[in-house]
Amino acid sequence: MKSSGLRINNAELWGGAIWFAISLFVVDQGRRLGLGSINHPGMGFMMFWLGLVMAGLSLGVAVQSIKGEGPSLRALWAETRWAKTLIVIAAFVVYALAFTQLGFLLSTVPLMLVLLRAIDPVRWTIAVPLSFGAPLLIWWALKSLLQIQLPSGMFEIG
Amino acid sequence: MDLAAQIANGFAVALTPINLLYCFIGVFIGTLVGVLPGIGPISAMSLLLPVTLSGTPESGIIMMAGIYYGSMYGGSTTSILVNIPGEATSVVTCLDGHQMAKQGRAGPALGMAAFSSFIAGTAAVVGLMIIAPFLASFAVAFGPAEMFSLMVLGLVIVTFLTQGSMLKSLLMASAGIVLGLIGLDSITAQARLTFGRIELYDGIGLVPVVMGLFGVSEVLSNIEQGIKRTVTNTAIGSKLPTSDDWQRSRGPIWRGTVLGFFLGIIPGGGAVIASFASYALEKRVSKTPERFGKGAIEGVAGPEAANNAAAGGAFIPLLTLGIPPNVVMALLLGSFVIHNITPGPLLMMQRPDLFWGVITSMYIGNVMLLVLNLPLIGMWVQLLRLPYNILFPMILLFTVVGVFASSNNVFDLYVMIAFGIFGYLARKLGYEAAPLVLAFVLGSIMENKLRTALIISSGEISTFVKKPISAVCLAIAAIMLLLPLIPALRRKREAVALEDGNN
Repeated sequence: MKSSGLRINNAELWGGAIWFAISLFVVDQGRRLGLGSINHPGMGFMMFWLGLVMAGLSLGVAVQSIKGEGPSLRALWAETRWAKTLIVIAAFVVYALAFTQLGFLLSTVPLMLVLLRAIDPVRWTIAVPLSFGAPLLIWWALKSLLQIQLPSGMFEIG
Repeated sequence: MDLAAQIANGFAVALTPINLLYCFIGVFIGTLVGVLPGIGPISAMSLLLPVTLSGTPESGIIMMAGIYYGSMYGGSTTSILVNIPGEATSVVTCLDGHQMAKQGRAGPALGMAAFSSFIAGTAAVVGLMIIAPFLASFAVAFGPAEMFSLMVLGLVIVTFLTQGSMLKSLLMASAGIVLGLIGLDSITAQARLTFGRIELYDGIGLVPVVMGLFGVSEVLSNIEQGIKRTVTNTAIGSKLPTSDDWQRSRGPIWRGTVLGFFLGIIPGGGAVIASFASYALEKRVSKTPERFGKGAIEGVAGPEAANNAAAGGAFIPLLTLGIPPNVVMALLLGSFVIHNITPGPLLMMQRPDLFWGVITSMYIGNVMLLVLNLPLIGMWVQLLRLPYNILFPMILLFTVVGVFASSNNVFDLYVMIAFGIFGYLARKLGYEAAPLVLAFVLGSIMENKLRTALIISSGEISTFVKKPISAVCLAIAAIMLLLPLIPALRRKREAVALEDGNN
């Protein structure tokens, strides 16, 4: 896993670089918000100094990667079922976008079907009743018992 | 009012039918999430945070507390029968508990786990009753400088105890503070880092952040690896330990209780470190240390007592100082805040019904847990046979509903998904989520205390070292930050560092 010298595909290097960019953003935001003075610190005082601390820490992480520490990006996902993870993330993003438009019931049933069938497939005889039954039960419990209204969407179902 | 009267008042609150029901729901869900690997008290408490809105503050907080200490009981069942810890706190129980199960002694192992949890949990409540009022009177003297330094110490301890690189943990903690600063400034009431989104004026919600970082990212990681588990196919038999078992376990239970209780009080310490420390202690004091790891009942009794006592001890900093010592207590702080209640030194005086009601409910909860975990153990074993491919869609469904119900805002769903993906990638790169969450909760309070301390002292930075309590906290924090620079100590830290996410 480890090899000496700078490797452009080193995960630690990328991690450090991303954190460094974030810390520069934090420093800039802190400066824009106003540092104030030491006896009357402004809104950006803590953010500015924290940003500097983060910059130092992220440089430390990046330096460790230059010393050869850390796995490659490819090694992190080697021998994993990364495609399955991507499917769940994609399903979740689509679900969140459709949530208010379609409503809770119409968007949750397909999500459950995808999750139950696309990852480690569950038998249809279990997947279909569960995909319909679980959201219906939750919708009923929230609406009737807790008086929480879930979105009914453009078709006003639920 | 003297202590006895206050305790009686507490029982009067805890024993009302509605509070008994909430307590039962809490300990039941706690046991459930403790038993199920892949879902912990943090996810369950986040999920149920919105539910606390519908009842009285004491009902909601009693339920949330029940989930926490209930999960300590449930975690051991999975460790003993499946050799997978249901909770991080039960990792050590796998070592001897599962060996006992393989030797046909699953019953006594489960029984001893439940009894030692009960004894320690109850003793911790007694300790809480004695120490909390004393500490609360002492905590009134804490000014902004002391509070700031204590929070710095808590964060440093968490970063010190989490797994892997300390640089990365400190980065996560710093990011958590920055995230906690989003929203209206607590002193000038002006918006910062809101980017014109009204949803961000109140800051990012704790529930979507926690559900994303712990619930969604946990599921994503599990799916990637593919969880497989086999429940030990041995008859559980009698759950009552023999007199020899009791003889061997008596010392470990009491030592674990005392050790766990005090480790629980320390910010950043908690149940995970307590269970490991107890196991190490028992192995050291045992005349037959070679039995450990091969089915020694002391290796079940001590750590199980320690993690339950630590769960009780962890309430002390929250209730008396208003500072959550770990992520679970941060969520409990959230449920106080939802009801406009500020935990801290004045809570005992302003809301004695709530303070003592919550504490005494833990006695009742511990009795309920003993019943749930001994006669009903078969039910939990059946639950362990539920396949993960059915379980994970349900977990995701509950996270979605929990997050939406907490704010009635779809924006929180986006936040949860974003933090879920971030949490998954962070795990991949070896960044732990626990320091970020604790820092996120403490961020705005820390900033407020820092600025207030500087304003009060007219910009005198030395105020943080002139005040003795503050100076001690900062000195310990500085030592802990410097320790990993010594190679031998760094190796030692890496050996004891723990995944504290579920703590």
